[in-house]
Amino acid sequence: MSVLTKQASGAAANLAAPGGKPSRARGKRTNQRSGYLFLLPWFIGMLFTIIPFFASLYLAFTDYNLFTEPNFVGLANFQAMFEDPRLLQSLKVTFIYTFVSVPISLAVALLIALVLNRGLQGLAIYRSVYYLPSLLGGSVAIVMLWRYIFGNDGIVNGFLGLLGIEGPAWVTDPEFALSTLIVLNVWTFGSPMVIFLAGLRQVPAMYYEAASIDGASRWRQFRSITLPLISPIIFFNLIMQLIGSFQTFTQGYVMSGGTGGPADSTLFYNLYLYQKGFTEFEMGYASAMAWLLLMIIAIFTAINFIASKFWVFYDN
Amino acid sequence: MMKTVSTPISRRLVLGAAVTAAGLALSGCGGGSTPAAGGGGNVELNFVYWGDSNRAKMTDAAIKIFEEKNPGITVKSEYQDSGPYADKLATRFAGGNPPDVLNMANRTLLEYAQRGTLADLKSFPEIDLKSIPATIQSRGEVDGKLYGLATGVNLIGMVVNKTITDQAGVTIPDDKTWSWEDYAKFATEITQKTGGKIYGAGYDVATETGPILLARQRGEDFYTKDNKLGVSEETMRDWFQYSVDLRAAGGYPPAGFFEQIGGSPAQSYLAKGTVASQIIPINNYKGYNEAAGGNVVLLRMPGETTEKRRGYSADPSMLWSIAAKSKHPKEAAKLLNFLINDVDGAAETLTQRGVPINPEVTEAIMPKLGEDDTKFVQMVADIQKDDLAPAYVYPKGASVVADTLKQLATEVEFGRITPADAAKTFLEKSNAAINK
Repeated sequence: MSVLTKQASGAAANLAAPGGKPSRARGKRTNQRSGYLFLLPWFIGMLFTIIPFFASLYLAFTDYNLFTEPNFVGLANFQAMFEDPRLLQSLKVTFIYTFVSVPISLAVALLIALVLNRGLQGLAIYRSVYYLPSLLGGSVAIVMLWRYIFGNDGIVNGFLGLLGIEGPAWVTDPEFALSTLIVLNVWTFGSPMVIFLAGLRQVPAMYYEAASIDGASRWRQFRSITLPLISPIIFFNLIMQLIGSFQTFTQGYVMSGGTGGPADSTLFYNLYLYQKGFTEFEMGYASAMAWLLLMIIAIFTAINFIASKFWVFYDN
Repeated sequence: MMKTVSTPISRRLVLGAAVTAAGLALSGCGGGSTPAAGGGGNVELNFVYWGDSNRAKMTDAAIKIFEEKNPGITVKSEYQDSGPYADKLATRFAGGNPPDVLNMANRTLLEYAQRGTLADLKSFPEIDLKSIPATIQSRGEVDGKLYGLATGVNLIGMVVNKTITDQAGVTIPDDKTWSWEDYAKFATEITQKTGGKIYGAGYDVATETGPILLARQRGEDFYTKDNKLGVSEETMRDWFQYSVDLRAAGGYPPAGFFEQIGGSPAQSYLAKGTVASQIIPINNYKGYNEAAGGNVVLLRMPGETTEKRRGYSADPSMLWSIAAKSKHPKEAAKLLNFLINDVDGAAETLTQRGVPINPEVTEAIMPKLGEDDTKFVQMVADIQKDDLAPAYVYPKGASVVADTLKQLATEVEFGRITPADAAKTFLEKSNAAINK
């Protein structure tokens, strides 16, 4: 990290002072200024986040309905949440989805990264092939494709049919619809995999050499060298995947045509929030829901950070 | 190999990334665009509707005629699928940038009208209402003000693939007198005689037009005059129970059979040949007939003479409205008047949005219609000759009612809930949404 920053600021200094040799103090200021200049797009982009961010905080305490002026209603929206069975259902769906798909997709990502790290020929091609689903997984087209693959006449049931098994209605049966989406999420393991791969490459070979001289088995090497050294990366991936999957929207929206069906079995939290805001025009309630989600994510992230003290190993 | 390892990711970086990722969730979608105002003395109207490219082609042709007849007005039109259309419309109204003339769904008219977002169409001298039947106008009226005019009249009907019934040797009952029981028997016989390869019935339990018709046949108003829910628990239970019994008898496909991928006639199960009959909005009759091989017959819904009263009413397929905040209300009114009253315009759009509500317009375009569309218009006309029960504007919360029906229909389909419990829950949830 520090190496990166130094390089970046060095480059910035070169750009900012093309001719002559500025004094040290002035050079530092120029560095800072150009640093901020480089950050400018982010600051501008941030405005589009910050303004709605505070607007939604305000609206969470109003009865805003999109069309008429919002009225302040205090905590009414948050109170209403306790009596909303669909909100509980959406939390249930989101939690199941998160706690099943995140560990599996991280395990798959790590496994594939380990395989690819063994110096295969044509690594770049494999890496791209495995990464591809991540680029596509959130897209509408792939979710549609998924519907066909898992459809009644789809290839999954076709394959099961060859084995003499009559497959269920993966997409339309409330018992199975969510699991179909979990499989889709696991399939998009590409971005954690690439990050794992980068991490694995950073683990110095000398540790393994020393360990094998001492007679450590491969499994032992994996547990005692690889896992601790890439634990910050596992942690990073865990946090990012967790947040991402709490915010799942597209998959549920496309798969169910926006309803969260069949029978609310794919009613993700964000999908319900969207329905409240844009179908039922209860934008105040939807804003309150957004803040509840933020709190939930913050709590889970905090728990992870506390827990990380016991298993994440920072080498520096 | 002498270099010390520095893990590329620090604790602080993880935290920073986490905060950013979580924070982005709250900001929601990006901003919209503002259409440029027309330059000079030229007025640019924004006109939006939902539909497919075929509808858009016909609409564009009509708009061209409007522009020729009204120099100085240009129309910038946009169209989308109905789902995204509804979302975008809500955001545009919320952002204070509504379109001038727009398509409105029955189920959201009241939501918009009661919040003062739509203009009273009676206040425009440009809109000529003298040829528009009162029964049609009443479907866009709220508290004495006219907030929407039907784009056309439409009904639901039963389509049967006669090639299948002929092969199976099953005769199609007389649709003028058939009962729901007749339909069940008919559908079950088809399944039996085709060896279970083709299911006799293939209608959608989850669409509200079905129970709306059944309720009216039972002497109830699904939505009442004072904008409440009027359907009884018993009728809803029967609606669910009918599909359960029909499935048990074999006439209706097993749970999970309908996946509803896409919604066009070409993608329908009738076109695939896996079901022999289906309930459709009958303006689509031509599409279904063409997609399913050209031997599809159009029938009235069952129960029209065997229940308490007629279930049909003259329903708007959708409505046209003008935004209260339109910057060019006069021109917008001209366009709306053109859409309902202009014969030359209607000659381009034909029955794309239902049978035109001005009878003179309908008469004028009749010679231009193909065989299938003529059948559709004829059926609407025949049914309207009879004494039909009145129907009313959909209440606020009608979208929640539609969603609730969809959920419960699935629960019933997979046997997770009994029809009786589903009916009870349906009334509870719908009433809660409407009375809110």
